[in-house]
Amino acid sequence: MQPRRILAVNLANLIGRASRLLEKGGGTTLPGRVALKIMPDLPERLVDELEGGCVLVTGTNGKTTTSNLIADILRRSGFKPVHNRHGANLIYGVTSALARDCGPSARLRGDIALFEVDEATLPEMGRRLRPRLIVITNLFRDQLDRYGELESLAERINAGLRMLEEGDLLLNADDPLVATLGEGTTLRVSYFGMEDGGVGSDATAMQHAADSKFCRYCGEPLEFKRVFYGHMGVYGCLRCGRSRPAVDFPALALSLRGVEGSELLVGGWNGGLSLRTRLPGLYNAYNVLAAAAAARLLGLEADKVTEGVEGYSTVFGRAEWIEAEGRRVLLILSKNPAGFNEVIRTVTEDAESGKTLLLALNDLTADGRDVSWIWDVDFEELVPFSREVIISGTRAEDMALRMKYAGLPEEKMRLESDPKRAFLAAVRSAPPGGAIYALTTYTATLALRKALAELGYVRGYWEE
Amino acid sequence: MGRMVLRICHLYPELMNIYGDRGNIIALKRRCEWRGIEAEISLLSLEDKPDPRLYDLFFIGGGQDREQEMVCHDLQKVKGEALREAHAAGACFLAICGGYQLLGHYFRTWKGEVLPGIGIFDAWTVGGETRFIGNVVAEWEDGGGRRTLVGFENHSGRTRLGPHSRPLARVKVGHGNNGEDGWEGCRCGNAFGTYLHGSLLPKNPWLADEIIRLALSRRYGEVELEHLDDSLEERAHAAAVRRAAGKRGG
Ligand SMILES: [Zn+2]
Repeated sequence: MQPRRILAVNLANLIGRASRLLEKGGGTTLPGRVALKIMPDLPERLVDELEGGCVLVTGTNGKTTTSNLIADILRRSGFKPVHNRHGANLIYGVTSALARDCGPSARLRGDIALFEVDEATLPEMGRRLRPRLIVITNLFRDQLDRYGELESLAERINAGLRMLEEGDLLLNADDPLVATLGEGTTLRVSYFGMEDGGVGSDATAMQHAADSKFCRYCGEPLEFKRVFYGHMGVYGCLRCGRSRPAVDFPALALSLRGVEGSELLVGGWNGGLSLRTRLPGLYNAYNVLAAAAAARLLGLEADKVTEGVEGYSTVFGRAEWIEAEGRRVLLILSKNPAGFNEVIRTVTEDAESGKTLLLALNDLTADGRDVSWIWDVDFEELVPFSREVIISGTRAEDMALRMKYAGLPEEKMRLESDPKRAFLAAVRSAPPGGAIYALTTYTATLALRKALAELGYVRGYWEE
Repeated sequence: MGRMVLRICHLYPELMNIYGDRGNIIALKRRCEWRGIEAEISLLSLEDKPDPRLYDLFFIGGGQDREQEMVCHDLQKVKGEALREAHAAGACFLAICGGYQLLGHYFRTWKGEVLPGIGIFDAWTVGGETRFIGNVVAEWEDGGGRRTLVGFENHSGRTRLGPHSRPLARVKVGHGNNGEDGWEGCRCGNAFGTYLHGSLLPKNPWLADEIIRLALSRRYGEVELEHLDDSLEERAHAAAVRRAAGKRGG
């Protein structure tokens, strides 16, 4: 065997175990960093040996949920996916996940690779791993301070996709920018999209968070017939005639049940596929739709898709109910304007009116250091439903100010920068049997999860 | 005197709003409302021609490259003349980032392409190879005691000021206009230009009030604004200064 490869994999795993023991968080990137130093082409070597090939999932919002759903469906179908479940989605995180799934002889204990990858890393991952399927959920404005602006990101993804020779490309037809990404590739392109006429609203309701409103070919403003959320909708260009592509995997019917989840009927399967999910909100219905379409392209069975989607509930921090002191706590990751607006819409659909909210805004690198985006979120919608708002995070003051200008009286807000104290304040604010809605940015979600683990309400995520 | 009305013209709201710049409009509106002043906001986009006598305050935010090109074209063809006229007549302007650049003489991109501006600011901008990204703290230079401005910059343009402009503030943390001469922003008459997103006005409420006061004075003479409780604004300002210095919150 290859001593270099064995060294790379085993050293990575040793470091991973050590950092988990020392509780330095999940230890998700350092092992990969070390392994790549020792063997720069380790990921492609490992993945090449898998019979089932490789699936990549990317997009600004929903890539973790979508790839976790696909992983569950694969498992129920008898596969053993090698998967970066905790969402460390740059090359280091992916390499760590690969190493972790290797035996001592540095061979993968699995048969198909499934990775969620960062949008900006997709070209590199594609080139290295030569995937059989790429899923792109959406492209929103997110952490522009790291990636430059949306269109140049799309250019780079386009260029990356054109380098690939074969495989499936599954795109969101409702996102005008994502829908163009199939242009000029030799990949087999199919689309998923919303086709239930009752969902969404007419174009006058377009939110401030809408990012992609111009035809990518001629620059003309797009005409939207319907808007589902953000810039997702049914659109066309009056100048050059380009329009939303025909949808291969439509959501023919969708009924949203607020924070309880939704039911959807997916076309592209014989007689349609009826799915029920506990994941709340329209944005999660899109994730389920994308996962079901991906499963179809992978040749999986309908009943496995149903089971996988229905059995799926907790994704660390993404939309998770927990119990604490007789209160129901909904943890929802909310990290950019489009995503946040959808979360707000979902939370306000819930019947209960005097809600206890916990908002946590961080400005660490993984959140994006610029917090300007909170001024694009329609927090005004949340104000009438708020009993008390506990505000936390490294930029708690900015969030408090946003709520003040959204119209929340100062006596209804409480600043508590420490996550543990913030959570206990929320527990005191909510009545027994009541609900707490925690809407938190990425690293603030990690911090809250850690606080909840220390308080004994959940287990640490590296123990799952 | 009856109820005062502040007439605000928000230019290209859907095109020029890349980093939450509409927070500035929210701040202006609320700070007027809290004092019983009516803020009337008109949204003007492509093809709409503003009446230069109607508005006391014009606001324009930053945009992505494509939006910026469309706006540049529209400013040249449709709005430029009216905006220059309003400026000459004493109307107030607040222009952020891309809007600041387009209200100068020109923007020359890194590739050498030139987008003409409308010359409200005696300033010009040249695209740079790298982007200036990060928290900014700057010390106000435009009279009125020692004040600081906080915000977040994200631009590749390097802006230089001509003799008819004066800089707004001296950079303490960050890059500002061009990363070399230490200045941030510019003022020409009642027009303020700056690179600071953040949003700018909620965290710098004294600047919001200065702009409201200037804009109202055009129609109502010297006005004195009612004092507001800005303790939360001041906390957010102080937190931004702390974060810019690399310290944790708390
Ligand atoms: Zn077109």
